Amino acid sequence: MSEVGKRETFTIPIGPQHPALKEPEHFLISVDGEIVTDVVVRLGYAHRGIEKAVESRTWVQSLYMLERICGICSHIHAMAFCLGVEQLAGVEIPPRAQAIRVIVAEIERIHSHLLWLGVSAHEAGFDTLFMYSWRDREKIMDLLEGLSGNRVNYSVNVLGGVKYDIDGAQETAIREAISFLEERTRHYLEVVTKDALFLQRTRGIGVMTRSQAEVLGTVGPTARASNVYRDIRVEAPYAVYDKYPARIILDNRGDLEARFFVRITELFESYRLIMEILETLPDGDLSTRIPRRINAGETVSRVEAPRGELFYFIKSNGSDIPERIRARTPTICNMMSVVKLLVGHQLADVPMMLAGIDPCFSCNDRMVVLNRGRNKERLLTWEALRQYGIDYYKRRSA
Amino acid sequence: MKFGTMLGDLTISLFSQPSTERYPFERSEAPERLRGMLIWHPEDCIGCGLCAKDCPAGALDVIVLDKESKKYQLRYYPDRCTFCAQCVYSCRQGCLEMSNEIWELAALDRSMFDIIFGDCLENG
Amino acid sequence: MGSTTIKDVLLSLIALLIFPGGLFLLFVGLAYEWIDRKLLARMQNRVGPRWFQPLADTIKLLAKEEVVPDAVDASLFIGLPIVALAGVLTAAIYMPFPGLPPVGSFPGDLIVTVFLLSLVTICLGLAGANTLDRFSLVGATRALTQLFAYEAPFLLALLGPAFVAGSWEISEIIGYTDGRWLLITQPFGFIVAVIGLIGKLEIPPLDAPEAETEIVAGALTEYSGRGLALFRLGKGVALVLGLTLIAAFYLGGVATPLLFLAKTLVLLLVIVGIHALFTRLRIDQTVGLWWRYGTLLVLVQWLGIIIWQGVMI
Repeated sequence: MSEVGKRETFTIPIGPQHPALKEPEHFLISVDGEIVTDVVVRLGYAHRGIEKAVESRTWVQSLYMLERICGICSHIHAMAFCLGVEQLAGVEIPPRAQAIRVIVAEIERIHSHLLWLGVSAHEAGFDTLFMYSWRDREKIMDLLEGLSGNRVNYSVNVLGGVKYDIDGAQETAIREAISFLEERTRHYLEVVTKDALFLQRTRGIGVMTRSQAEVLGTVGPTARASNVYRDIRVEAPYAVYDKYPARIILDNRGDLEARFFVRITELFESYRLIMEILETLPDGDLSTRIPRRINAGETVSRVEAPRGELFYFIKSNGSDIPERIRARTPTICNMMSVVKLLVGHQLADVPMMLAGIDPCFSCNDRMVVLNRGRNKERLLTWEALRQYGIDYYKRRSA
Repeated sequence: MKFGTMLGDLTISLFSQPSTERYPFERSEAPERLRGMLIWHPEDCIGCGLCAKDCPAGALDVIVLDKESKKYQLRYYPDRCTFCAQCVYSCRQGCLEMSNEIWELAALDRSMFDIIFGDCLENG
Repeated sequence: MGSTTIKDVLLSLIALLIFPGGLFLLFVGLAYEWIDRKLLARMQNRVGPRWFQPLADTIKLLAKEEVVPDAVDASLFIGLPIVALAGVLTAAIYMPFPGLPPVGSFPGDLIVTVFLLSLVTICLGLAGANTLDRFSLVGATRALTQLFAYEAPFLLALLGPAFVAGSWEISEIIGYTDGRWLLITQPFGFIVAVIGLIGKLEIPPLDAPEAETEIVAGALTEYSGRGLALFRLGKGVALVLGLTLIAAFYLGGVATPLLFLAKTLVLLLVIVGIHALFTRLRIDQTVGLWWRYGTLLVLVQWLGIIIWQGVMI
């Protein structure tokens, strides 16, 4: 207690380097004993300037640049970009290519959710579940490696279609892996909904009501766990989701347990979708020609990434280089919900609740300029900007 | 509410082999489509340079030796390569492929990362 | 002063420094740490470390520079790991280890042993509180909170066998328990003792004081090099001593080295199983567990013992 009777706050920095976070991001947590009283989040440690970088690359090269926004959901970024560009160019891609894109997107969703299951279990201190879920995720990685030749950035998409076909051997491999994983997933669902000690760490923790979820603008499984009916696959079907409708998994509890339930149940949904599409995989070409110069215009492309809605704004000036590309990733939508909900919880719940939204910080770090109230526009040359930077840091260190 | 829901897994694992691949000691076969090092087959190359133009990493240079007799070289930097296979897709002549055998590309010597296909000193 | 005295002194020194105390104990601690890690790895379907890994870790840590952070009491920072290790090594004197009679003993050495084992935790707490690091401070607070939670039930659980043996001297208790499986007559005491040992050594699920994903390494966050190595060695020895005590008291004694090995390893398997099966408890849940269930269980046990003794008389 200080003289004025105000309690001094004890702050704990989580990040930018911290074992709970596998990516650099800074959360300054004020605690009173073990109870969190305030959270300050500082983003931007992994800002890579990808949006700017693609403005000096051709459309084809941009595809691979954008694919690397996220390591886990690389395919869905490329897919959102391809769908947008094909729309701008007025190119209809073959149905087989659309179906293969969706199959890979769903395999990626399985991969992402299993990875998340492991990470969250690790944050809760349940390393056994972590090890097992990642062991089984290895099947999916092998599948993707067999399908595309790479385990992480599969690069299945090209502008105008896909590169890799699903032939008989691939199909058998996918069916085998999925029947194995279905059984395992049933087991994991039982673990996260029945295990008494694990439930102690998830049940009733981080409860987000439906209205909160809507006000905070959450997306994806995080929103669905709070009973918000929100899934781009259903609301604005793209690719072949109109022919193979996905079912939205909802839960009205809104706590961590609900998020576990929603994500794991979504796995079954993905298994079902993949099987259905495989049954009726249309024949035909894998890709179609697409011009190198994309028609001038702008478009919006929305897809459902494993973490929620992924939004692309694409603007072309008719050249072979994009004019402007803006990606809004799901994590930035969900981030504020964590900051809001953490207050009042225990310090021990912080890593779990952070993991609860399945954050991807490097996706998250976009450039946002707040110019509110200043209304002052300035154009800087590269030299001037460099000088500004030097002066800025001189002023700060002085 | 149950306690120890993963007891079954633990017991099975305790009496079975670990699922870890003991990679440097035991090597499993790479899948057929694995994207390893780029291989260039010069026979059909027309020197269009699309591969170099589309490469997102700037890992390829097409060197024109003699346009008349269609003599080209392909300069490849494996350290820049992102193994996305766009060049393989872009090549209309089917001159490029990615090896599923040569994929352990780590080296201590930088000269390993500057390969000129079609050179007399090729296999460097 | 005769030649026998010198021989006695020499033998005592060997007993304290080399076998069965001192050096030998350190290596046994490392071996048990390896078994612990290997078993856990195999349960999780992993390969696990090779047999020399704990030794290699220790050698590496000992060889590294010890960074003493600013704003700490340097003598305390360096001294605490030594005190912790010395504490557990002293506790070994009164232990039937490995299946041999204790080196030294006196009436009431059980209490001394239990508190020497607690010295590690107290040193850990002090070491954490000594630095200005926030993770260390939270870790230290948690470590000491947990100490207060489990200490009383754990001690009571170990006093159960002492009570029926009618002595507080470890060697006499072991004389009584040899061949008598108190596990059967005092099951609650056994459970509390095993879980108490897990809490004492901060093995998951009771590892809130060093919960990696929350507070990095807890009280030891600022430690590197020798200090960390000594703390780790201390924990390894404490593990062996704790296992020995429980095996000797509840599992029918450790009269021969073979029995010692078999019984402590079975106990270790149980502890690793608990480690692998359960999620980490929050610190409030840990305290709740001890005061709501642990204490109650051990009190019920004592009630049972007292009533039984009354009936016998």
